[in-house]
Amino acid sequence: MLSDLMGGFGVVLQPINLLILASAVLIGFVGGALPGISGVILVVILLPVTYSMEPTGAFMLLTAIYASSVFSGLITAILYRAPGTPEAVMTAIDGYPMTQKGEAGKALGVGILSSALGGVLGTVVLIVATPLLADIALQFSSPEFFALAVLGLTVVASLGGNLIMGVIGVCIGLIIASVGLDPLTGTQRFTFGNLELMSGINLIPVIIGLFAISEVLKRSQEGDVHLASKSFKIRIFDWPVIRQIRGAILRSSILGTAIGILPGIGASTAAMVAYSETVRWSKDRSRFGKGAPEGVAAPEAANNAAAMGALVPLFALGIPGSGTTAVILGAFIVHGLTPGPTFMTGNTDLIYAVFVGLLIVNVLILVFSKPFIALLSKLLDVPYSVLGPIIVICCVVGTYSVQNSLMDVWLMLGFGLAGFLLEKVGFPLVAIILGVVLGPIAESELRRSLAMSRGDWSVFLDRPISAILLAIAILLVLVTVLVPLLRRQPETAQAHDS
Amino acid sequence: MNVTYRSFATAAAFALITGPAFAQDGYSPSAITAFVAAGAGGGTDNFARTVQPMLEERLDTNVTIINLPAASGAVAHQRTATSEPNGESIEFASSTLITSLAAGQNPIGLDLLTPVARMQSDVLMLVVNPEKYDSFEAFMAAAEETPGELIIGGTHAASIDRMAFLGLNAEAGLDLNFIPYDNEGAASANLLSGNIDGMFNEISAIQGYMDAGEMIPVLALADDRLEAYPDIPTTVENGWDLTFGNERGVFINAETPPETIGAIEAVFEDIFGSEAYQDYAARTFLNVRPGWLGSEEYRAELEKNLAYFQELMADN
Repeated sequence: MLSDLMGGFGVVLQPINLLILASAVLIGFVGGALPGISGVILVVILLPVTYSMEPTGAFMLLTAIYASSVFSGLITAILYRAPGTPEAVMTAIDGYPMTQKGEAGKALGVGILSSALGGVLGTVVLIVATPLLADIALQFSSPEFFALAVLGLTVVASLGGNLIMGVIGVCIGLIIASVGLDPLTGTQRFTFGNLELMSGINLIPVIIGLFAISEVLKRSQEGDVHLASKSFKIRIFDWPVIRQIRGAILRSSILGTAIGILPGIGASTAAMVAYSETVRWSKDRSRFGKGAPEGVAAPEAANNAAAMGALVPLFALGIPGSGTTAVILGAFIVHGLTPGPTFMTGNTDLIYAVFVGLLIVNVLILVFSKPFIALLSKLLDVPYSVLGPIIVICCVVGTYSVQNSLMDVWLMLGFGLAGFLLEKVGFPLVAIILGVVLGPIAESELRRSLAMSRGDWSVFLDRPISAILLAIAILLVLVTVLVPLLRRQPETAQAHDS
Repeated sequence: MNVTYRSFATAAAFALITGPAFAQDGYSPSAITAFVAAGAGGGTDNFARTVQPMLEERLDTNVTIINLPAASGAVAHQRTATSEPNGESIEFASSTLITSLAAGQNPIGLDLLTPVARMQSDVLMLVVNPEKYDSFEAFMAAAEETPGELIIGGTHAASIDRMAFLGLNAEAGLDLNFIPYDNEGAASANLLSGNIDGMFNEISAIQGYMDAGEMIPVLALADDRLEAYPDIPTTVENGWDLTFGNERGVFINAETPPETIGAIEAVFEDIFGSEAYQDYAARTFLNVRPGWLGSEEYRAELEKNLAYFQELMADN
């Protein structure tokens, strides 16, 4: 393996390939930073360009764009609460409050460092253990995915704020997710005869509407005030902060890689679970949602690690773990490569060049991000009366481009208004996203499990992984509900302080 | 001066004959919008994006691809059917057009869309995990011994692989179950891990697993044994009339004048015969069965399959 790795370095360090990687990172940066333009779209746009390239360069380009677009979603999430990619939703929860407190530079530094470290760790795991992990991923079938989605839904308990409102929010999300064709029978649900509603409500209009548009509406009411941090300096290597977040980064990178490996689960879910675990492990939960650096570090480490993890089943089994990897799989076939279990042994040169390319990309992210963000942050000097409409225009264009649907744009604007009103009554918007992301997984995997077992519910207990995951979920809910009840007396005084 | 003028005129005349090769048919679109009734990156999208430059070269115009995956492509069908009928809007679609029509999920039928050409006819195979079943006989024996127990995985409820599943149940008198997954990858993963018993898939998608010996095709939905896979029994030799596969082709608004449709058909026939296209077809295992069908034959094929799919859906 070591000699393969050295061979990979030999290929990647050729000037042309370094140029490919550097341009891929820049393309990924720009695309990821624009709300609505996700990694999938960038990879698709560049796919025809790669037809004329030789396969190694082509796949270094595609995977590098994928990696850097997952990273750069955090920039607009932190600065404007407009997540550039769905993976960056959780980053906005603590990142944007930090910007409001005048700590935008600190938040971005934490995000960049966590992303790069998460990405490097994910890549190292990819290099060392791909075939082994792919076998583990195959142990996950419908009952396990259902249990994982249930575990993810318990995140709502750690979001802070009013638990009842959180539960209502998840339910709203589940209702949104149930629109469209029934995933198993194809029956129409809540489509009102509308053709476009048949494929359901896309995640991106919901996220952009609830977060970005609602924030623009809110700011427009506050008059033309500049953000507190008019000019800021990004500090990536800020040792006191690093000491504070290193636990969160390590834990979230491991969690992110593990979740990313599972086909169909994805980096957004990884970021959600990592955020919730970080809150749970924290001594002082009250800081979260108000600008805690760990709250930025956890989802960013996790989503970048998960993006690398998603390549494990792609390379080792030919099974795509996410939307973007599905497009890359299609590209393999067009390039005359045959994805599948023998792909890794048959294409060692290519695989290791891609691995090394990904390592270098994560380093390039550290190098390029500062000047790129400095350029973007110049926008903060623009008065909000000008910037707000620009954000709205980007959101409209981005949402439209996802599946060329005007309907999505109207939905996005509708969710913007809804988010604005819900937030006024102190509603946790992330709870809705939880429902939208995890609801479809939970529903369809529950029904598939029961179809597999022909209606026998014991399938969730007979299979060890699903039994353990469900037990953890139940335990966590009990602890979250019971502990505050038991501790009510001593904590009342504290609650009044905050 | 005179000489220059003459050579210019010759060049212009030459260009008129050779340049826009298909302009003499009276078809010279200023630009073409190509709707793709599927998401980016899949087989239909790859098909459209491979053909795009070939089309641009032959018609000397720009071809813009717009992916409209919503509602299993029904939105793309609708946009095509309501476009200006001047030959400047075309659609790339797969058999999902008629499977979703049969399932009542697509209001745009063959009365509103005219098939221009079929370019690909993928062969569907019943694929099993060799650790569970080493041959078609073993699979059939298990299916007959334990009716209602075997599970076939697939993509969605109105997919071509579900039609294959329904067709096999009906023709062979089996009682297999069907679980639709969100995508082909999830179904493949469940087949590899032995959670399901089989799935219907295209050769291009399973080649890697076949090479590794982790999946084996045991039945081809075809008339005769395939040249490349002589050991795989076919449905027809078992006495089952199931030969449909996933087909991909080009469609247009039904109100388009017949001569325009004929001209576009000729362009695609030329593309189909080109070396560049055949290279792509060979690379992606799309040449196992002849792909080309002209407008008339393609319509007949689609109508035959649609009627059969409607029958299958009505019984289930």
